[in-house]
Amino acid sequence: MKSLIAQNNEKRKLLNKENKKIYEDMLMYVRLSYQKSGAETEEVLMELLDHLLILQGEGRDASELFGDDPKKYANEIVGELPQTITKKLLMLFFMGVCYFLGVATFINGLISTIVYYGFGRLESFETYYIGSLSINTLLSLVIAFLVVYGCLRYIRWSCFKNVSKTFEFLFAGLFLGALPFGIFLGLFYFVPSFGPAITLEVYWLMLVGVGFFILARVFQKKA
Amino acid sequence: MAVRSQLLKGILEGCILAIIASETVYGYELAMKLQNQGLDVSEGSIYPILLRLQKEKLIQGEMKKSPSGPNRKYYTLTDAGKESLLTFRENWENVKKPVDQLLRSKEEL
Repeated sequence: MKSLIAQNNEKRKLLNKENKKIYEDMLMYVRLSYQKSGAETEEVLMELLDHLLILQGEGRDASELFGDDPKKYANEIVGELPQTITKKLLMLFFMGVCYFLGVATFINGLISTIVYYGFGRLESFETYYIGSLSINTLLSLVIAFLVVYGCLRYIRWSCFKNVSKTFEFLFAGLFLGALPFGIFLGLFYFVPSFGPAITLEVYWLMLVGVGFFILARVFQKKA
Repeated sequence: MAVRSQLLKGILEGCILAIIASETVYGYELAMKLQNQGLDVSEGSIYPILLRLQKEKLIQGEMKKSPSGPNRKYYTLTDAGKESLLTFRENWENVKKPVDQLLRSKEEL
């Protein structure tokens, strides 16, 4: 499947400008229908690309393949693609969660350690309150999930459309950037400390991060 | 011509099964053969149908090297596909004559 994607990347360079635009919209739209089986998706995308290249060679228009409404055609293709098994989706979901937590804790630990050992500030240990920690983690995960989901929906929506750069900047910047980031900050500021307290040396956070990372790799292998 | 109705879709499916039964083809080849038969279908309409036929296990596709070089997905009929083609042929034979007759007699009125 990976080699099909690589082949697709190479072959796509042979398309002329107009065909490339319409094909890449098609590619993005179909690939972002993430609940579909990956192998079948790549195979039909390759078939369409081959077909389009032949049409281009004969000087014919892409509309002879995709019809007058490419989005409708893309939906027809997506509608016939087999569903991927839920177990795989679940594994990918856990993988995403673990990567997110891994990166977040590792970077947190790294910065605290550098600040402590490098600059002699702060204390070498930090106190965590299990209650607020779990609430914050859970809410962060929900926000991260919504942002990723929002990005995918936005990209899929923008396929086959000419979206102005200004609109994109304002819309994506506000709803996918500033707003979630603001909520993140608000969480850590406003959620009161509660629940039993544990105190850890700051470098422990990095180890926890690595732990999540390894867990994420395991889920990735299983998916 | 866009494939509008279920009827046309069904007929097109039968024709595709018939072509694949007689020889192993890839997508573009199949589209050309349909057009050469005088069936005026848009070329893209075969791909959703090919996907559906694969899902129903009537045909199977295999990526293979083509004589001219690049990998192509070649389709062959499964046993279930052969059976389905027989059923289609039978249904078509049964319905063809009476429908023709009916339409012709209406024309004469």
